Amino acid sequence: MVLRIVLGLLMTAVAFAVAGRRLAMLYRIGRAAQPVEPGRTRGVPARLRAELTEVLGQRKLLTWTVPGVAHVLAFWGFLVLALTIVEGYGALFQRDFHLPLIGTQPWLGFLEDLFTVATLVSVLVFAAIRVRHSPAREGRRSRFFGSHLDAAWLVLFMIFNVVWSLLLYRGAQINTGNFPYASGAFASEAVARLIHPLGAGANDVIETAGLLLAIGIILLFLVLVVHSKHLHIFTAVANVGFGRRPRALGALLPVYSGGKPVDFEDPGEDDRIGRSSIEDFTWKGMLDFATCTECGRCQSQCPAWNTGKPLSPKTLIMGLRDHALAAAPYLLAEDKSKVDALAAAAAQTPLVGTEGVVHPDVLWSCTTCGACVEQCPVDIEHIDHIVDMRRYQVLMESEFPPEAGVLLRNLEHAGDPWGRGAGARTEWTDGLDFPVRTLDGERIPDDVEYLFWVGCAGAFDDRAQRTSRAVAELLHTAGVEFAVLGSGETCTGDPARRIGNELLFQQLAAQNVQTLNGAGVRRIVATCAHCFNTLANEYPQLGGHYEVLHHTQLLSRLVADGRLVPVTPVGATITYHDPCYLGRHNRVFTPPREILGTLPGTRLAEPQRTRETSFCCGAGGARMWLDETIGTRINETRTDELLAAEPDVVAAACPYCVDMLADGVALRQQQGRTGAHVTVTDVAEVLLRSVREPAANDHRRA
Amino acid sequence: MKIAVLIKYVPEATAAWRFAGDHALDRDSVDGRLSELDEYAVEQALRLAEAGAATEIGYLTMGPPRAVDAVRKALAMGGDRAVHVLDDALHGTDAAGTSLVLAAALRRMEADLVVCGMASTDAEMAVLPAMVAERLGITAVVNAAALRVEDSTIVAERDTDDATEEVVAPLPALVSVTDRSGEARYPSFKGIVAAKKKPVTTWTLADLGIEPGRVGSAGAATQVLAVRPSPPREAGTVITDEGDAAARLADFLAANKLL
Repeated sequence: MVLRIVLGLLMTAVAFAVAGRRLAMLYRIGRAAQPVEPGRTRGVPARLRAELTEVLGQRKLLTWTVPGVAHVLAFWGFLVLALTIVEGYGALFQRDFHLPLIGTQPWLGFLEDLFTVATLVSVLVFAAIRVRHSPAREGRRSRFFGSHLDAAWLVLFMIFNVVWSLLLYRGAQINTGNFPYASGAFASEAVARLIHPLGAGANDVIETAGLLLAIGIILLFLVLVVHSKHLHIFTAVANVGFGRRPRALGALLPVYSGGKPVDFEDPGEDDRIGRSSIEDFTWKGMLDFATCTECGRCQSQCPAWNTGKPLSPKTLIMGLRDHALAAAPYLLAEDKSKVDALAAAAAQTPLVGTEGVVHPDVLWSCTTCGACVEQCPVDIEHIDHIVDMRRYQVLMESEFPPEAGVLLRNLEHAGDPWGRGAGARTEWTDGLDFPVRTLDGERIPDDVEYLFWVGCAGAFDDRAQRTSRAVAELLHTAGVEFAVLGSGETCTGDPARRIGNELLFQQLAAQNVQTLNGAGVRRIVATCAHCFNTLANEYPQLGGHYEVLHHTQLLSRLVADGRLVPVTPVGATITYHDPCYLGRHNRVFTPPREILGTLPGTRLAEPQRTRETSFCCGAGGARMWLDETIGTRINETRTDELLAAEPDVVAAACPYCVDMLADGVALRQQQGRTGAHVTVTDVAEVLLRSVREPAANDHRRA
Repeated sequence: MKIAVLIKYVPEATAAWRFAGDHALDRDSVDGRLSELDEYAVEQALRLAEAGAATEIGYLTMGPPRAVDAVRKALAMGGDRAVHVLDDALHGTDAAGTSLVLAAALRRMEADLVVCGMASTDAEMAVLPAMVAERLGITAVVNAAALRVEDSTIVAERDTDDATEEVVAPLPALVSVTDRSGEARYPSFKGIVAAKKKPVTTWTLADLGIEPGRVGSAGAATQVLAVRPSPPREAGTVITDEGDAAARLADFLAANKLL
């Protein structure tokens, strides 16, 4: 008994010392990071709900059934097996120790064994998944490509060791009469039967040795956990708890330095704009990096990664974590001159650069589509980190792909990405047989229900102009009074903000908020998913509070209310593409489908990737204005996915998606890979075709 | 070596321009900017400084009060100081009068090299570089596509239709650069903040010793008689392919003497 106690406590002391040293270091990295912006603890009910659903309920993991269920077994297995650890430590001191109150009840013994077996099953499933989808077999398609594979196998092996050593000592305990449960613990009983023939003396030894072994393995596992990606078993709870709610999508956060918003009119001397080095990240950023478990769900959905670009959200986060750890001895040292040369070199590696931690091609490949954030089971906020790094590059270094210069100059001088200028903003109305009310600086009249936010694409892009006219005609038909700002409208600032030029975003947004507030606008309808997102989610940051609807929301309401009646059969199979900024970022999935579903003579054919897992068209994150020179083209990849549903009409609800997909379909038609009859159009245009009398369609192809 | 860069505050090209009763542009009705062509001049000056050929870059502009926006933009790109010639009597000054004022200011700035854009984006006369050089009595090299300084000479490359010529001129000299001389840098926020602290000196005609009568509309050698908006662009011809599009396209081009 003395041996048990001494050895057991000695092992524990050593393991706790090693693990504690590591945890203290990790904590110090977090402390050295920037303070987080306010609001990370606000809204406690939503945070508790997230802990319940995402941690205890494993909601995001379960979106992938097999690995999800396996993880549920492992997760709950470890929660229940925590009891056996308590029992094990008790047994160090008292051979027949049992938990107080319920410690001898058969159901508890059964539960413990059930989850021991469940954990074993999960290990086997995980191993099978890792073999089947190993990077050696699948290459870049594997979600584990780029993960630390050896460490992952070691973790699985250690969990396996935890399970068998636990069962071994419990079996021996049964044979020596020290087991707390008279019945119920079926797996332990099976092991007991197996080793019973070895005799009482042997079982006595196995009980002690097994117990020490089990504790030793658990302690070794603890040390492994704090030194590996498996740290997520501790940090995930905190990361979900401090995450942006409801999710880190939709609005981008303003630029914060030292936890306070940066005033671009009068910046402080020491303000840090964006992220220039690893210590510029906040402690929540560090927590994100520490929590990544390298599962690669993000990577599997990333449009950049799926088209052969160097960006993987997973390896990006892993790279930042590995860099933080490599640089930590230098960053945390009191006397920098005494630091190991490797750590000093790591600390001096530029964060972004061709020789840096993050290659510029990685940084500029992101479309901010949010597929990674959506997938991440531990709520890592990839987009925020990417945009923060872009912010430093653009604002402080003026480093960005040269094509972006044209975009930024056009936004600055003309107020739109095309450089057309405010004077041309109502040209889209040519050809409408009713006048469109234009405010041109006037206050919005009382009888006007909605301000129609046309957007730059809606005003200047040929295809999007058709959508603008379709929406105007539908609103007119339904008797909805609307007006446009006309020359008073300017870019919402979405592309400027997403490319990292927060200064330009603030200028454009402030100008629009002033115009909208000055005109007394309260309700806005927008056709562009990006405008919609910025108006609804980001303008409140600047004092612009409006009720913002996407045109598909308003139109579906008008159809439901009978103010728009689709009569003409469309006669087409329609595949709807969810725009990222409408769907994933803003959860508007149903209205466009409701519209298309009510049209006579249509059949909706969903693509494989749809709704939350919709695949980006390639235009988000200001990528619309950048050249796409690496890998294959995102829009062609998405076009192929949509064409696989064999549609006659590909419908989208964002001008940039329509443009990107129309280009993709046109290319496939040119290559003879799809029928010439396939068209790409906005949902509103399909609705308009059905609302018009058949004859009207014939001679009025807008 | 000191470089002076001539910059101009011009009306936004995409905005609607309105003309006042005296046929001069109504500057209050339209936003302005640093002329895009002058951004190339700023860029070339900054590159010379970065290459170690220049020790100081000063900007010179003549224009309305808001022209200081263009000055700040240039200073945000880089450079050290700026001079703004501001005087109500300058309203309506033509190119000859402008060159008189700029030359007087440049004499006071004591620059070894004057760099300017090939033309302004509003009036597009492209005569000012030569006029200023003439008044200063220094060499003018116009339409340079590349610049370098070698032993107190300026070496410029000029692109012609069939050759690239390399021109050497002794300093002091004036060089105008084209829009092919190299993409102008985008000012960083750091640069914008720094620009707010750089000195901008305002000079009047009196400071330069110029009689008000020699400039402004009164002193102009030319007179604007009328301003008419250009006719709206006519819609083009759309040829829809009915199997014979190529032939009809060729016919159209031939009919317009384009083939």
